[in-house]
Amino acid sequence: MMLRDHAIRYGFIVLLFGLIAYFAVAADGFVSPQSAVFIFQSVAITGVLALGVTATLVVGGFDLSIGSVATSAMMAASYVMVVLEQNAVVAVVACLLIGVLVGLINGWLIVYMRVPDLLATLGMMFLLVGLQRIPTEGRSIATGMTMPDGSVANGKFSDAFLALGRHRFDFFIPNLIPVSVVVLLVLAVLIWFFLEYTRFGRMMYAVGSNERAAELAGAPVKAYKIWAYVISGVFASIGGILLAARLGRGDIASGNNLLLDAVAAALIGYAVLGAAKPNAFGTAVGAVFVGVLLQGLTMMNAPYYTQDFVKGVVLVVALVFTFALSGRGKR
Amino acid sequence: MGADAVFRVDGLRKSFGQNEVLGGISVELHAGEVTVLMGANGAGKSTLVKIISGVYSRGSGSMQLAGKVFDPQTPAEAIRAGVVTVHQNINDGVVADLDVATNLTLDRLSGKGVPTFFNPARVRREAKAVADRMGLAIDLKARVSDLSLADRQMVAIARAMAHRPKVLILDEPTSSLSSAEADRLFALIDRLREQGVAILYISHRMSDIRRLADRIISMRDGVVSGVFDRKPLDYEGAVNAMLGRKIHLDRVVARNSAHPVLTVEGLRIAPGARPISLTLGAGEVVAVTGLVGVGKTALAETLFGVRRPLSGAMTLNGKPYAPGSTGEAIAAGVFLVAKDRGENGIVGGFNIERNISLPFHRRMSRFSVLKRRIERATARRQIDELGIVCRSEKDEMSALSGGNQQKVMVARWMAQEARLFILDEPFQGVDISARRDIAAKLRASADGRATLLFVTELDEALETADRILVMSEQTIVGEHRNADIDLERLLAEVAGGPLHSAA
Amino acid sequence: MTITRRFLGKLALGLAGATMLMQAPALAADKPAPFDKPGVKIALVRYLSTGDFFQAYLSGVEAQSKALGVDLRVLDSRQDAALQADMVDQAIALGVQGIIIQHGLTESMKDAAQRAVDAGIKVVAFDVNVENPKIPQIEQSDRDLARLALEQAVKDNGESWKAGYVYVAGIAPLDRRNETWVDVKKKFSGINEVAMFGTLDNPIANSVANQARSVLSAHPDIKVMFAPYDEFAKGVKIAVDEAGMNKDIKIYSADISTSDIAAMREPDSAWAATAATNPAVVGQVSVRALAQLLAGEDPGHNVIVPPTLITQKDLVDKDIKNMEDLSAKLPQFAHADVAMPAWMPNPNAK
Repeated sequence: MMLRDHAIRYGFIVLLFGLIAYFAVAADGFVSPQSAVFIFQSVAITGVLALGVTATLVVGGFDLSIGSVATSAMMAASYVMVVLEQNAVVAVVACLLIGVLVGLINGWLIVYMRVPDLLATLGMMFLLVGLQRIPTEGRSIATGMTMPDGSVANGKFSDAFLALGRHRFDFFIPNLIPVSVVVLLVLAVLIWFFLEYTRFGRMMYAVGSNERAAELAGAPVKAYKIWAYVISGVFASIGGILLAARLGRGDIASGNNLLLDAVAAALIGYAVLGAAKPNAFGTAVGAVFVGVLLQGLTMMNAPYYTQDFVKGVVLVVALVFTFALSGRGKR
Repeated sequence: MGADAVFRVDGLRKSFGQNEVLGGISVELHAGEVTVLMGANGAGKSTLVKIISGVYSRGSGSMQLAGKVFDPQTPAEAIRAGVVTVHQNINDGVVADLDVATNLTLDRLSGKGVPTFFNPARVRREAKAVADRMGLAIDLKARVSDLSLADRQMVAIARAMAHRPKVLILDEPTSSLSSAEADRLFALIDRLREQGVAILYISHRMSDIRRLADRIISMRDGVVSGVFDRKPLDYEGAVNAMLGRKIHLDRVVARNSAHPVLTVEGLRIAPGARPISLTLGAGEVVAVTGLVGVGKTALAETLFGVRRPLSGAMTLNGKPYAPGSTGEAIAAGVFLVAKDRGENGIVGGFNIERNISLPFHRRMSRFSVLKRRIERATARRQIDELGIVCRSEKDEMSALSGGNQQKVMVARWMAQEARLFILDEPFQGVDISARRDIAAKLRASADGRATLLFVTELDEALETADRILVMSEQTIVGEHRNADIDLERLLAEVAGGPLHSAA
Repeated sequence: MTITRRFLGKLALGLAGATMLMQAPALAADKPAPFDKPGVKIALVRYLSTGDFFQAYLSGVEAQSKALGVDLRVLDSRQDAALQADMVDQAIALGVQGIIIQHGLTESMKDAAQRAVDAGIKVVAFDVNVENPKIPQIEQSDRDLARLALEQAVKDNGESWKAGYVYVAGIAPLDRRNETWVDVKKKFSGINEVAMFGTLDNPIANSVANQARSVLSAHPDIKVMFAPYDEFAKGVKIAVDEAGMNKDIKIYSADISTSDIAAMREPDSAWAATAATNPAVVGQVSVRALAQLLAGEDPGHNVIVPPTLITQKDLVDKDIKNMEDLSAKLPQFAHADVAMPAWMPNPNAK
């Protein structure tokens, strides 16, 4: 029984370290500060999205629109800077507003219109995939592009904005840590503290576990649910900002892969430390886990489809940890 | 009279594991009569119905229908033999997405000898015949999901009657109907009675029972505790038999209160209900009793801000009190231990400590950050206070017994000082010792606040309260100081007898 | 759906030729029948239409139609294969003389195309094989695209280097480009492919960048990255920049867009060269081949639009900033001398 408890609690962390040890031996150059930083960088965007979707999972909801919120934010940032020729601050604010707005609409649909969460956010996903194409009639946005009316967009990505994707902070080694990694870590700590230590986070868990009990304990349940979707929307839009800064252009994309990777990270997070519930620390570990795997596999020349396969295996194993071994698969 | 019983149950027993639910029940039903079956929750009514309708198999005993052995193995067999049941949940009896005509003939769509092809004209013809026989005035082409609850209920019954049963069982058919809607249902039942159907009618509503009953059978703890068939029917006797009357060993010493905490004036909690007025004083424990469905929970939820009253005013500590949400109620010092803890109380993902702190996060945090040390200290104190049996405050709720879970729910709300402390069915699913502990704790800590309990079991009220209020038909119909109680009058009030002036 | 979107994304090229719309039709009298009189009707029946590539292709078709003075009807099935076949019948009913079938599925279009031919209508097909000897196939040559880029790589780096290769199997144009890469590796034994990777997870550039970073840390000695699709190349470039290896590695790719031009023009950009076909030109060639058929000439069964090599040096020297500059300053990109009989008006001619 004790062994089993320990397996549930530390199994996944042990697995992670085992994996790192294996790649350290099998793949040249895997162990280095740069490599470690890179793992974080490669999961920064999906990690930020995963932290956001964790908030909706905590209140017993789900957000399928995060991927398309991220790509819509990316398009919006590009549009603001390239077509409207505004500066980085305007672009960032526009993205965050999109995140807030989408979160509010999702929350409104789910709480007041009684649309089931999966369906509401699925609808929002399609809506955004379409919406992001309307201003440019389906063209990708880049400096010098021709607009539908034949004019040429002359704005460009401001250096300040691109720095969000390209600047690196010194950390023992010069130019080591990219901004996106710092953003990931800061947001992870923030949402972790929010969920674990504030009364708002605690009540969100209560809402997710027993909505009626939370309401009878005085919680404004509807407001909590809407806030969860706003958090999710804002985090997704921050992910979109990082994406735009890294790519330096606005690419039409559905963001479905971002969504799936983010959800995978959050679900893997259930298994970390035997939490058996959505949690920010687990989500972050889950994201890093996926990052380590992909980095190692790519370094060993594994083709892309084996990576999807391995991702799936990890997810399934994590879910077995969560639901079968810990015997808490009630929800 | 016993000779012409169309349906007879003899010495029926049924156990689930160790737990004997029916301990030798004998019941007779007569053609053209409405027999009302009364019983508190857990008396075994629904088990009996499920055995008769072929859902459960019987333990021992026998059943006879029209002189022949009746032993259905499946619900379908029971229906074919002529015993049809309309269950409490209306939507189980109809298919919402189909039209009325199809619903009325649905049972003929499957089974032997049914043509493979669906013939809409034939369906409508048959449905019309059924509807005419029942005097049903509903558009046969309407979709059931567009109908009112009452109409759906009618369709469900008409559908059952399409089998031309000898015995019809109605399980709390009016529980979700308004009184006008119920009247239509009663007219239908009268018609069926005239057609010679033997009807078993299960209900708590005294008004229904007065309107329909030819005979009353009371059940308690798995046995028949009374049969009443002499006119005029002895309704109080039936309620009495249903609730039982024990000798109360631990009678309380009733206290009086001088300082009113909550005053309620002209509160109406349901359309058509008479207004409620009451005063609760500091230090007293008041119990509201009444049958299931008379509006106890509605009143509790109105006081706690879950629902709004239709009219009336409340005053708490001399100030107007009109909570718009549970949060406002809690801020005003009104706490509610809701009934059905699994549904309304326990947060399954939280351990004991976090379940206890749930309503008081704001008071336990600084800058919205929870102070975990205070949270733990509170939990430990409350575990001690109520004698909750657990390893530590970190235990999961699922590890606790029902009684201890309920103690946690009570402990949650006793962690802070209340002005008005409401408990809705706090002894539900609680063993006798936990019940005594909770009651003792409530009485010991009652000083300085008003305590209001809602209980269906009269014994619980007698054991706990200083004052007992009786509810019936969504209003308060009687008040008794818990000393030298006139039990006859109290039971009459529970049974909905001639209304005494309310407090 | 995903595959198709990926496919669209894969082909996302820069927009060109929109400025070519403002052409006066050439004098009708110079041209053979039926173009000596106005009123010739042709139809463009599309399977794919969203994305930069298809926008540019359409603008090419429109420009050439205008130059020829023909009446163009555009029928867009939006990836509905059955509808596209119906639209061919619709075009027949409209009484058009010629039809261009743009993309689609062989299975659904083969019979429809045959019905059009039977109705006496001239048909050409772009990027869909309708298995009909009477229907010329318009193609851009993926093999030539890869060949041009790789020849430049050999020219720049010699015949011996370590290479990283970005490839996802199962996508027809990428598979054709891959054949050339395999041939080139055979021909130059000094070219050593140390890593192959690739993904179509969108946003593609972001996913490829993540992979490329891993590859670069495993193989810091790579000299050349062959990424024969511009989304791949963008991803590789992001990784190379992030690794600070932009002076040590050169990227060779296929396809071009305005943002690709910007990326190639960056100081010390690793992106050395790309080979591309101008989708607007492909559109023009489609119309011209159809016009030749209508005039009784034979454009040949396979009408191949040759690609153009675009190097970083070209872009910098000629100060090319976007697709319009590219068309204006690299004439071979703006116009292909394919299906160009003497009487054919050139939509690019000012």
